[in-house]
Amino acid sequence: MNETQRVMLLFLVVFLPALYLAGRRVQRGILPDLRLIPAFDALRGVTARAIETGRALHVSLGLGGITGDVTADSLAGISVLEYLADQSAAAGAPPIVTLADPTLLPLAQDVVRRPYGPDREGAARAARHVRWIAPESAAYAAGVMGVLGGEGVDANVMIGAFGDEYLLMGEAASRRGMAHVGGASDPNVLPFVFATADETLMGEDMYAAGAYLSGRPWHIGSLLAQDFMRWVIVAGIVALVVVKTVF
Amino acid sequence: MVSRILSTVVAMTAGLLVLANFFFYSDPIGALSLYLVRTASVVAAFALVLGGVNVLTVHLNKIYSRDKGWGYSMVLLGALLFTLGVGFLTGGPASIPMQNIFETVLFPLEATLFSLLAFFVVTAAYRAFRVKSFETGLFVVFGLIVLLGQVPVGAMLWDQFPVIKDWVLDVPAMAGARGILLGVALGTAATGLRVLLGIDRPYADRRPPTTDR
Repeated sequence: MNETQRVMLLFLVVFLPALYLAGRRVQRGILPDLRLIPAFDALRGVTARAIETGRALHVSLGLGGITGDVTADSLAGISVLEYLADQSAAAGAPPIVTLADPTLLPLAQDVVRRPYGPDREGAARAARHVRWIAPESAAYAAGVMGVLGGEGVDANVMIGAFGDEYLLMGEAASRRGMAHVGGASDPNVLPFVFATADETLMGEDMYAAGAYLSGRPWHIGSLLAQDFMRWVIVAGIVALVVVKTVF
Repeated sequence: MVSRILSTVVAMTAGLLVLANFFFYSDPIGALSLYLVRTASVVAAFALVLGGVNVLTVHLNKIYSRDKGWGYSMVLLGALLFTLGVGFLTGGPASIPMQNIFETVLFPLEATLFSLLAFFVVTAAYRAFRVKSFETGLFVVFGLIVLLGQVPVGAMLWDQFPVIKDWVLDVPAMAGARGILLGVALGTAATGLRVLLGIDRPYADRRPPTTDR
């Protein structure tokens, strides 16, 4: 076992019990105070805004799929879509969903179909709003810009794995005055998100959608476990710096 | 119900086997893990067919119902079928006609679109540089310092601009980026573990929501 494997194993040995204990604690009803993230409040409002204006809500899940390094980003986008799909279904106005990796297509279709339950016609109509645009980033951006410009979109949510093409799509939304919530994990893309979106989910905020929007106990618990691990890692870094400096 | 349990068991077993292979060297686990990863690649390739069907369905519907921009859908489907036909008739994506299509149509179009980024950066920066709060004020100050440190005229105005720019990029910006990456790594690990332990089941059939969220 090499050094990386030993460190990863140690990480898991500490993280798994922390995750379990925090999850159980929340399940028993001991809820922590979650810090305010304005983007989640904005997400609660975008569906209502789209319904009130009679225009469409667009959700972009980015370039990621479910078989690569950025699967967690895609799943974060799916969590947000799940919430928005539930909200939209009540008004019978499913969101337009665009994605670049076809492995995400069945998952996104399942998410938008689910709120319709036995209403097969409604579910099929919602699934038709999920569109695979293209696997190439430029082609995907061009397709999304077309959707934003030509399909009466009023609110735009872009959460997932993105590259530089985020700016093309984000600017297209900003210029049309759409309500725009963006989220990305890549530090190189975050300035583009910050510059174009009304509200932003920066880095790990993205993964908190299940806790903030749906209030799932295990998701809230995993936020507590992440915080605990962060303190452990920071303490470890400081301790190593002190040891290295002194000895 | 049975499909939910079955899919959860299959997903957890596959995930735990691949994870075990990362930590422990063992021929049977390694072989099984490699088989599972290859199977995932094959399944992912089939997703491309689903994507193709989705493109056809969306744009045929658009043409049929004469939605706004239906002419573009015709162009898209025409280009799709033409490229597919050329690929089948000439021996796949490595053939010379296909390479010509990529090099003379696709790559120039992509380059054209990305060249617009320079102009989009200017308009986005203009919007971002409007001071609305303390944070945007800091954004503007540091943005201007980095800009002046990056261009020759900045060094002509004050020779310390490049030095300050390097410090800004190497110390606060790097520290911020590492903090974000640490959080992303923890979030990714938490998401992965939730899926691995069956807490999150994005692959399983879902029930319609029964409670008001």
